[in-house]
Amino acid sequence: MAQAKGWMGTILRVNLTEGTITKEPLNMQDANDYVGARGLGTKYYCNEVDPKVEPLAPENKLIFMTGPLTGTAATSAGRYEVVSKAPLTGIIGAANSGGHFGPELKYAGYDGIIFEGKAEKPVYLLILDDQVELLDAGDLWGQGVHEVTEALEAKHGSVRVSTIGTPGERGVLFAGVMNDKNRAAGRGGMGAVMGSKNLKAVVVRGTGGVKVARPKEFMDEITKARTMLCEHPVTGEGLGALGTEILVNIVNEVGGLPLRNGRDGAYWDEADSTSGERLVDTYLVKNQGCFGCTIACGRVTKIEGRGDLDGLGEGPEYEAGWSYGAACGVTDLGAIVKANFICNEQGMDPITLGATIACAMELSEMGAIPEEDIGFPLRFGDAEAMVKLTQMTADGEGFGQILGLGSYRMAEKYGHPELSMSAKKQEMPAYDGRAIQGIGLEYATSNRGGCHVRGYMISPEVLGIPLKMDPLETEGKGALLKTFQDLTALCDSTGICLFTTFGIGLPEIAGMYREAVGSDESDEEILLKGERIWNLEKRFNIQAGVEKDTLPPRLLREALPSGPAKGKVSQLQTMLADYYAERGWTADGDPTPEKLEELNLSY
Amino acid sequence: MLVKFFATYRQISGCNQCDISGPSSVLELLEEVSRRWPAFRPLVLNEAGTEKGEDAIILVNGRHIEHLDGIRTALSEADYVALTPLVAGG
Repeated sequence: MAQAKGWMGTILRVNLTEGTITKEPLNMQDANDYVGARGLGTKYYCNEVDPKVEPLAPENKLIFMTGPLTGTAATSAGRYEVVSKAPLTGIIGAANSGGHFGPELKYAGYDGIIFEGKAEKPVYLLILDDQVELLDAGDLWGQGVHEVTEALEAKHGSVRVSTIGTPGERGVLFAGVMNDKNRAAGRGGMGAVMGSKNLKAVVVRGTGGVKVARPKEFMDEITKARTMLCEHPVTGEGLGALGTEILVNIVNEVGGLPLRNGRDGAYWDEADSTSGERLVDTYLVKNQGCFGCTIACGRVTKIEGRGDLDGLGEGPEYEAGWSYGAACGVTDLGAIVKANFICNEQGMDPITLGATIACAMELSEMGAIPEEDIGFPLRFGDAEAMVKLTQMTADGEGFGQILGLGSYRMAEKYGHPELSMSAKKQEMPAYDGRAIQGIGLEYATSNRGGCHVRGYMISPEVLGIPLKMDPLETEGKGALLKTFQDLTALCDSTGICLFTTFGIGLPEIAGMYREAVGSDESDEEILLKGERIWNLEKRFNIQAGVEKDTLPPRLLREALPSGPAKGKVSQLQTMLADYYAERGWTADGDPTPEKLEELNLSY
Repeated sequence: MLVKFFATYRQISGCNQCDISGPSSVLELLEEVSRRWPAFRPLVLNEAGTEKGEDAIILVNGRHIEHLDGIRTALSEADYVALTPLVAGG
C-alpha cells in the first residue's frame, strides 16, 4: 500500500509490562478526522482507555503523537503532543512541545508511540530507524533531564532525547516530559505518567524523510505563510528579539498581571524589574529557534556572579516570569531565571510550581501553614525562599513534597482550597480574568484546566490580533473564544507551532495541511476538525467526571483594588451562557446529542 | 504627564519613561514624541499624520485608545500614557 502523504504510516505500540514492541498501521480514518498530534493522540487515547482510569496506574496509557506537518518544511513544524489522563486535573492532558524530537521520530518512520502498562524496572526506548528496543535505564534513574540527555547522547551519538527528571519518577503531579533538554510538554503532569511506567526516556534517530502529497503546491503555501510571518511585526521581529517575557509591562499596564497570588490585584509598580526588556539587558545570551522555525522566540540565558544562582539554560518565558515574579512578589530577576532553570533541569511545570509557591506564601502570611511545616519563614517577595522551595520540590525534600501536589491539593490540606488560583485544579497562567474578561472564560472552559494556550484571548483583548476587543467587556467573547479554541486545536494537531497564528490564520494553516495530505476539503471543513477535537476532549472529560466550568471565588467576588480594571470582577456566568450557545451545547455546558452526531462523535 | 516606553521603543527614546507637558490629546502627544525623537514618526503615526501607526499600541491610563476616543483622546497632566510596538507572548 502506498504511504499516506504527510504521514509515515506506522504507530509503535510499546507494552512495558510485557516488554513487547509492535508496529501497526496508522489508523488513517482517525488521522483524517482528527488531523494529528493533539487530536489524533486524544482519539487513540479515548479509543483505548477507560475515562475513569487512575492516571498513575499501569492501566493508563501514554501517547506521543506527531502531526502531518511535523518534520516537513511547513512553518515552525517541530511539534509533537504527549497525551494521557492528567494526574494534576483528572481530565484529558495533552501537552505540546517543540524542539527537534517530533521531526526525528517521523524521520525514523513513526507517527506516534503508544506506551502501555508498566515496566518492572526503569527502562528507556531506543529508536534507530527500524531498530526499536527497550533498554535498561537503571543508571539513569535518579538523574535530571540534562544529565540524562547528555548521557544518552554520549552513548548513542546524534540522537534526540525526550525524558523526565526525578520529579517525574516520584509522581510530582506537574512533572513534565522534556525533550532537547529545555523543550517541555509541560502541563498537567505527563512526566508523572511516564515515571509511573518506569519509562525514563525515549531516544530517537531517524534518517528518513516525510513525503507530501502535492510538493509544488505545498511549497507555494509555505512560501506564502513564511512571507506573512516574516513581515508581521510579532513573528518577524518581536518574538525573536524580545521573547515572550516582553509582555510583562503591557499586561501590567492594562491591569492584568496577577500580583501576589492575585491577592493584591493585578497591577504592580515593580513589574519592570521582571520584564522582557530587563531580561534582554541582563541575562539574555541569544535567542534560539526550534526545528524549522523562523520566529526563534527561545531565550538562552546565563547567570554569572550571583553565587548559587549561577547557571546557563533557557527562559524564562512570560508565564514562568510571572509565576516566579509577580505571583510571588519577587523582583529579583536572577532568582526567577534560576528557578526556571531548576524546573527545566528537573522537568517541572514552572507555571504550576511558581503559582503553588505563591499560594503557599499567601497561606503562610495568613498563618494557615505553620512555619514548622515549611521549615523557615515564608513571605511574599522572598526570592531566596522561592528558589529554595523550587529545589526542594525537585528533590522531594520536606515541604517540597507538599508543593509537588500543586496548589489546589496543598491549599485544601491547609483548609483553604479557595485560595488555589486554579481551574479544574490546574494553575491559571499570567493574566487576570477580572481585568481581561475573555481569558477568564478561557481558563474556565479549557479542556485541560487553567491554561492560556487553548484559546489565547490575550491576542484580541490586549494585543489587537486579529481584531481589537475591549478586555473589560463581555460581548462577543464567547463566539470568538469558540473560534480560537477550534483553530488552536487544529493548529496543535497539524504539528506546527501555535505562535505562527500571530502572523497567519486558518487559510494558511489549512492550505499547508491540504497540500501535505492531499485533501480537497475547504477551510471550513478543516476547521470543523478542530471543533470535533474540542468536543472529543470535552466528551472524555465528562466521562471522567470533570468539575463544572468555573473560576476561583477570588476572581468572581473580589474586585480588583487598583489599576485600569479597578472594581472589576469576572463576569463569567454571562460569558458562559453565550459560549455554550455558540458551541451548540446545553445551558449546563454539555455537548448535545445533536452536536455530537453532527461531529460524528455520538456516544 | 508621564509617558512610558516599552520594548524596542525604549531604544528610540533612550529612556524607560519621561515627563512631557503640554499635549492636550493623544495626537498632540504623538507629534511631540515624534518631534523629540524623529525615529518615532513612522512608527506611532500614519503617513498622513492623522491616525496612529498600524503597529503601535497606545494606552492612556491603561486603556487602549481604541476603546477611548482614538487618537483624539483628550489628555491632562495627571494622565499616564504608554507607547509600545505590537508585541506578543504566551
